[in-house]
Amino acid sequence: MINSHEQFMRYSRHLLMDDIGESGQQKLTEARVLIVGLGGLGCPVALYLAAAGIGQLTLCDADIVELSNLQRQILYKETDCGELKVNCAKRELLALNPDLQISSYAAEVSAELLVNPYDVVVDCTDNLAARQLINHHCCQQKTAFVSASALGWEGQLVAFDFAHNPSLCLNCIIDKGSAEPLLNCSNSGVVGPVLGAMGSLQATTVIRMLLGFFQQHGELQRYDGKSGRWLNLRAEAKPGCDVCS
Amino acid sequence: MANRVVGYQRTTALIKLLFFGRLGDFAKQVPATIQASTPAEIRERLNADYPDLVKELCQPQVLVSVNQMIVSWEQPLAAGSEVAFLPPVTGG
Repeated sequence: MINSHEQFMRYSRHLLMDDIGESGQQKLTEARVLIVGLGGLGCPVALYLAAAGIGQLTLCDADIVELSNLQRQILYKETDCGELKVNCAKRELLALNPDLQISSYAAEVSAELLVNPYDVVVDCTDNLAARQLINHHCCQQKTAFVSASALGWEGQLVAFDFAHNPSLCLNCIIDKGSAEPLLNCSNSGVVGPVLGAMGSLQATTVIRMLLGFFQQHGELQRYDGKSGRWLNLRAEAKPGCDVCS
Repeated sequence: MANRVVGYQRTTALIKLLFFGRLGDFAKQVPATIQASTPAEIRERLNADYPDLVKELCQPQVLVSVNQMIVSWEQPLAAGSEVAFLPPVTGG
């Protein structure tokens, strides 16, 4: 319920929209979202979801803030270097929106964290093993899952609504036995706003899911910031997938 | 008598090629089309003239699509299909 003038003003741009309104804002306020990874993707995801009034946010990241993060990880300041990302992020997000409940885990993502109930889990990690662990648990628990990644000028996003589509998962698209590629952000770089674009798209997808508008289960979106091109690809469930079939 | 090709059977199809993102940097000289029956065969055929590109195509987690559908490297190809190759993006 929007029960104060402050809340009415804070969420007025949602309340003005016919397809969000007070009932939609209420869904956002009651939502539980886990954000795994608070790097270049996780920062814009967390900022936009906190601003949107997602009621319960859980933040997971084991890292501390480093100077090399500041080119793209927009939650942090130079004075935050050496501090845990989850602590800095929680402080900044509560300063933005003090009504939220924010839990933080300064650890790698684990099965223990993923068995808690969430409406959406957002994968902002940087490795396939973590992505596949999240995919496995979300698929088993029929929790919505939004995954993105970026490298250089390029970004990728794929999302799964397992409650309504039990088959077709991340493992159908990228086999969990795949090796990690040689290139990663640490050794080949990444353009900060590309992460911002993909993180903003992840946050938009979370909101779309929570409001019941999501229909792109397993559709993969690719962005090439160098050419300005997008590519949308469909996928099919892999016969015999040992995660979703 | 009209010219006729007797005993000829087409085993490969003319395929349009798209190299997305940074793969395009390795594929500037690659023709827009190629004859091949699977994406794996496209990779084999390119190896002699474009070894740097093929090295990238052999990276783990490279995705292949045919007409905007993600497929395996062994997917049979029909004439006129567009095959896109997408490099892995793993950072966050």
